[in-house]
Amino acid sequence: MPAPENFIPDTLLEDISNHGLDVSRRDFLRKSFAAASATLASGAALAAPDHPAADGDMAILQPSAQATRLGHPVAHMPYGLPSKHEANLQRRESPGLTRKRESSISFTPLQGLFGIITPSGLHFERHHAGWHDVDPRGHRLMINGLVSTAKVYTMAELMRLPSVSRMHFIECGANSAMDWASPAVPSVQYTHGMLSCCEFTGVPLSLLLEDCGIDKSQAKWVLAEGNDGASLTRSIPIERALDDAIVAWGMNGEMLRPENGYPLRLVVPGLQGVCWVKWLRRLEVGDVPFGTREESTQYLDLMPDGMQRQYTVIQECKSVITSPSGGQRLLDKGFYNITGLAWSGRGKITRVDVSVDAGRNWKTARLESPVLPKCLTRFNLDWEWDGKPYILQSRAVDETGHVQPKIADLRAVRGKRSVYHNNAIQSWQVSAAGEVMNVQIS
Amino acid sequence: MYKSLERARAMVAWSLSTLLLLSVSAAHAEKFAGIGRKATTNEIAAWDIDVRPDFQGLPRGSGSVAQGEKIWVAKCASCHGEFAESPSVFPPLVGGTTKADIERGRVAGLSAASENSKTTIMKLATVSTLFDYIRRAMPFDAPKSLKVDEVYAVTAFILNLADLVPADYVLNEKNIAEVQRRLPNRDGNTIAHGMLDLRGKLDVSGKDCMRDCPVDTNAMLLLPSTVNGLNGNLADQNRPYGSIRGIETRRNP
Repeated sequence: MPAPENFIPDTLLEDISNHGLDVSRRDFLRKSFAAASATLASGAALAAPDHPAADGDMAILQPSAQATRLGHPVAHMPYGLPSKHEANLQRRESPGLTRKRESSISFTPLQGLFGIITPSGLHFERHHAGWHDVDPRGHRLMINGLVSTAKVYTMAELMRLPSVSRMHFIECGANSAMDWASPAVPSVQYTHGMLSCCEFTGVPLSLLLEDCGIDKSQAKWVLAEGNDGASLTRSIPIERALDDAIVAWGMNGEMLRPENGYPLRLVVPGLQGVCWVKWLRRLEVGDVPFGTREESTQYLDLMPDGMQRQYTVIQECKSVITSPSGGQRLLDKGFYNITGLAWSGRGKITRVDVSVDAGRNWKTARLESPVLPKCLTRFNLDWEWDGKPYILQSRAVDETGHVQPKIADLRAVRGKRSVYHNNAIQSWQVSAAGEVMNVQIS
Repeated sequence: MYKSLERARAMVAWSLSTLLLLSVSAAHAEKFAGIGRKATTNEIAAWDIDVRPDFQGLPRGSGSVAQGEKIWVAKCASCHGEFAESPSVFPPLVGGTTKADIERGRVAGLSAASENSKTTIMKLATVSTLFDYIRRAMPFDAPKSLKVDEVYAVTAFILNLADLVPADYVLNEKNIAEVQRRLPNRDGNTIAHGMLDLRGKLDVSGKDCMRDCPVDTNAMLLLPSTVNGLNGNLADQNRPYGSIRGIETRRNP
């Protein structure tokens, strides 16, 4: 519970320290203390402000501090920050995944986000050798290999080229990996939080490859290389490189954040996140894949017969209910908006169905616009909770007709030891107490 | 060098078509005047260090198992273990392969029958990958600090630990392809799947049944109670207001 002194606004404290206590400031202070004491005395008013006292809601009857005093000046925070009341929604690590925090993951708090755009500061992180805040004046992009002229571009040069801005999701190939064999993590932040969606701005990769004179008769793969300690490399199939890939500097209207590859990253819509090479420094056109570490010992899909699927780049049709979701608790019966996200690396989402009875019966959810290819799509379904136990699921269908599978369907073909490409239907069990738990249904 | 030979051949091919390309190149230059410039030979050499499975890009050099062991002890063992077997910091590099695997070109330990943890050498189909990654990314806290001969030596040491080369082996740009042909999982990868091409055929798809669909809730798997609290207090990871809150997961025992 806040101490009474917390009811004195920062600006007033500043004012008092600058000007001393005059009559009006003295008066304001007295009122603030009175209000704070009243709230403390009533107790319940703070704990459950939604339930008004008999004579009315104190939030209405009591003059609020912000309605009766001057607020902060403009440019008080020249670069704005979220409200202090929103501090619970942060990128978080999951224990036991990695031993080195420079080669690790932080997850996006999907449980608290709205719409389809991930705030830049909450975009998930996956680094292989830590991140740097690179000076863009020293950053270069080289294009070599099967091109008529190997070229070097500065950031200034790239940013003069004709650019495009497009919204796309990015999902790590290992998203939902921990739940391949059985439920292992408690909330949607950890089951699905290696997923973000932003508007990216940059020059189409095809334009740059044309500018260097790509040899289209021989080109089959493009190696993308980062300028981090790992100089992370990944082979991109030429069809994807020449389709909708972007060499991007912009994210959500501003430059990329350092953790997301500032000042330059590759955006390869629909492909697993590791292909979206950050701090992009070089693109090499080749006639065969390059067999890099991130496609030869990692990001392989181990099949039951021991064969490893290599270059499984496309992220399949998938969805998840973000609220109510695992680790949450419904405080009361009544109306709730079941809401979540759907996406496919092959194009647009055409339909999302929601079940509240573990998959026996389904209702088609409302899709919020815009519905864009290779982009998150927000879905909603009205629901009235009557205090009984339920199991909530969502199931997406994309424009190629692919229906999101059950975990049992995936295991039947790929076994239990897979790591990547778990696009299974997620089940959330709502108990009679309103507690939501991660479960798996066949 | 394989790469320069490859380039020389490519240059000849290009020069034959230069007359045709010239007009096209000129058009490009016009289109984005003043943007980008030709990369110099030194610049390409500095950055183009990747080594492909066909060994295009492999630099000339050599290193012995014995030299590799010295470097290993000084710069690698603290993370990967004395014998590259340690799982304590990163997944283990060596172990889980047999002579029969080397004969066959497939690692038996990767099949469903085995629950063994997977080491790098079990999964690896190309020595080029090992060489390339050590050269560009290792040691973890000082990447690109090894000289080319040192990269050969460390690669040779790992290959020796995996029983692929003898203790007196000297790895170089000429014999590395032979070693690659001995890798225990050299035939263990496939691209016969639907997740490479947008038109690729899918191996798993759900059914869009809408009413009275078959469900087996008896086979329901629950989140084990042992994970309670491992991801912190979920009450602190959701908004502290509203009708949906986070569950208190750090309850007092």
